[in-house]
Amino acid sequence: MSVTTVFGPGGSDRLGGPDGPNGIVPSGIAVTGVSRSFGSVPALLDATLTVPAGSVTALIGPNGSGKTTLLLMLATLLTPDTGSIRINGHDPVTEPERVRALMGWMPDTLGSWPSLSARAALVTTGRMYRMTGEQAAVRADALIALTDLGDFADRPSRVLSRGQKQRLSLARALVHSPGVLLLDEPASGLDPAARASLRQLLRRLAGEGAAILVSSHVLAELDEMADAAVYLADGRTASPEQVAAAGASARAWRIRSLDESALERALATPGVVGALVQVLGVDQLGTLVQVENEASAAALLHNLVLSGVPVCDFGPAVGNVEHTFLDLTRDRPARHSSVVVNPEVTP
Amino acid sequence: MNDRNRLFLTGLWLIVTLELRQRVRGVSWYVLLGVFMLLVGIVTFLLWLATSAWLSGGGGVFSTIIFFVLLLATLVSPALSGNAINGDRDIGTLATTQVTLISTGQLVLGKFLAAWITALAFLAAALPFLIFAVVLGEVSLGTISVSMLVLAAELGVIAAVGVGLSGILNRPLFSIVLTYLLVAALSLGTPIAFALLGTATQQEATSVNYQVVQSTYDQQTGKQSDIVCSTAQTSTYTVPRFDYFWWILAANPYVVVADASPGSFDEGGRPTDLFGQIAVGVRGAQAAPELYTEYNGCDEAAKGYANQQSGIGPTPQETYDGAVPSWFIGLFIHVVLGAGALAWAWRRTRTPATHLAAGSRIA
Repeated sequence: MSVTTVFGPGGSDRLGGPDGPNGIVPSGIAVTGVSRSFGSVPALLDATLTVPAGSVTALIGPNGSGKTTLLLMLATLLTPDTGSIRINGHDPVTEPERVRALMGWMPDTLGSWPSLSARAALVTTGRMYRMTGEQAAVRADALIALTDLGDFADRPSRVLSRGQKQRLSLARALVHSPGVLLLDEPASGLDPAARASLRQLLRRLAGEGAAILVSSHVLAELDEMADAAVYLADGRTASPEQVAAAGASARAWRIRSLDESALERALATPGVVGALVQVLGVDQLGTLVQVENEASAAALLHNLVLSGVPVCDFGPAVGNVEHTFLDLTRDRPARHSSVVVNPEVTP
Repeated sequence: MNDRNRLFLTGLWLIVTLELRQRVRGVSWYVLLGVFMLLVGIVTFLLWLATSAWLSGGGGVFSTIIFFVLLLATLVSPALSGNAINGDRDIGTLATTQVTLISTGQLVLGKFLAAWITALAFLAAALPFLIFAVVLGEVSLGTISVSMLVLAAELGVIAAVGVGLSGILNRPLFSIVLTYLLVAALSLGTPIAFALLGTATQQEATSVNYQVVQSTYDQQTGKQSDIVCSTAQTSTYTVPRFDYFWWILAANPYVVVADASPGSFDEGGRPTDLFGQIAVGVRGAQAAPELYTEYNGCDEAAKGYANQQSGIGPTPQETYDGAVPSWFIGLFIHVVLGAGALAWAWRRTRTPATHLAAGSRIA
């Protein structure tokens, strides 16, 4: 990221701010009991979540679980059948214009006007948010620098690669410096460097007061990026209790040692491996053990070090988010494999 | 102009320019216009020869060029406007526009205006040739202004139908094809329906004849005397009833343009341009055929064929003047059709969407 001065919580280029008449409004995203079906096919049954201002929340769920449907409703494109949505206190159904002024949406489909350059597309989008031509041009320059599109900014967007289009799509969502950001699979198609910058950018925007909801399949990344995660399966958001239970369940840890045989011997020694630990096997990256909870993991590491094993790597085999996600979806195999017809997958 | 209107118009114009940049910019578009100008040029030259326009004036050339513009625009316009909305949905730029402060009304109207402007470009490209026709003379200011205004309105109707259908239907190919079918139904379907319905509705007509069987002809006076008359000779035959169906032609865009232009006739009452010929034909169809005719040759003979002219019908100009103009009905139907299509498209495109058709998507 070469530009760091673009976003400010109360910056002069912020449009349509959320300030109500008395200056005090609930900020962030609040979703309560939202459902939506398409004809007789339910896409979302019961979604409840909050994204406070100044935080990044991950939206996680298997394909067809209703993530995109939920984001479409937050983006003022679709009405919920039941339940309520508030974006900085505004209802997207009755006050779509107010919500649009403060909300940025990056869709999962990469749409761009084929014959317009990235720069022209950003200027046009800025004008759609009622900026003057000059304001829009300044903003477009800043966003091109921010999303590192400089080399491609003046080529027609039809020649951009997927990753470049993805960055253009992100830049477009940020044109009006929104206080609420909805990102549908923002990292797909990005190279590792671009992913890292995306992560930094989102953290910075959150630090500046934005409420950010990110849906992604790259679960490992969400661990570093998100303050909280919302799990969506079969159209329902998992309750905090379910998430806590899933997060605390037994999981695989990976141990790597400079002396694999010493490790093997130590693990075979009675007393080193506690009652809550079970050796799963050895793969090319190290030895996998099933550990009931973090306390038993700490005890295991302590014992290994005491036994003189030169441990150089000791940690969960899968990230927190991924572990919780897999555990939650494992609970309901029958349902999440059923056919869920959803607008994101119909041709 | 208050602030709200100004904001609306600014956004509307933004969509218009975006559409024009998207759809129209590029070499291929100018090649198309160039080919069109070449064709109009050839047509103008051939018409100039065919109608001896240097003697008879430019009415025939002018009216034919106007029709040629209408023909070309009806062939090109559906392809350019028939995927305005659903095409954007397909490439994923519709929803990203709808989450901005652009309203659905601005979006639909802007796309319509852009499509209309595109079609009007054909009229603009034909202008040099129209001016040439006017310079040839005998084209009234009324004909020039009315025919061009009505043509522009008809081009707007086609643009509105195309954009409207693209918002109503989900698949671009289908909406383009349906726009073509609708334009074809109006342009070709109406004369076909008129001809078929008219000829299918045959009615029996009777004619009664009295003929001179024998007479004495006086060479000096040229009169006949001692006329012996035949008995009544009755014959029956069937006639088509086009007069029941003339209103179908009113919905034809070519008829609307032709009928709207003020008629232009020569001393003999014959139309001097294509508009007049078509208008006379259509208005002539309003008259009911005579179901009973009686011809008394004996009376004629007794009068000495004094009234030779009686057998000849009215001149085209008399037919034209004696019938009801229909173009405003046709134009009204077209405008309602176009406006209705746009309104329906607006309803279907409005967000947040409550109802989605099966198999459709928003983004």
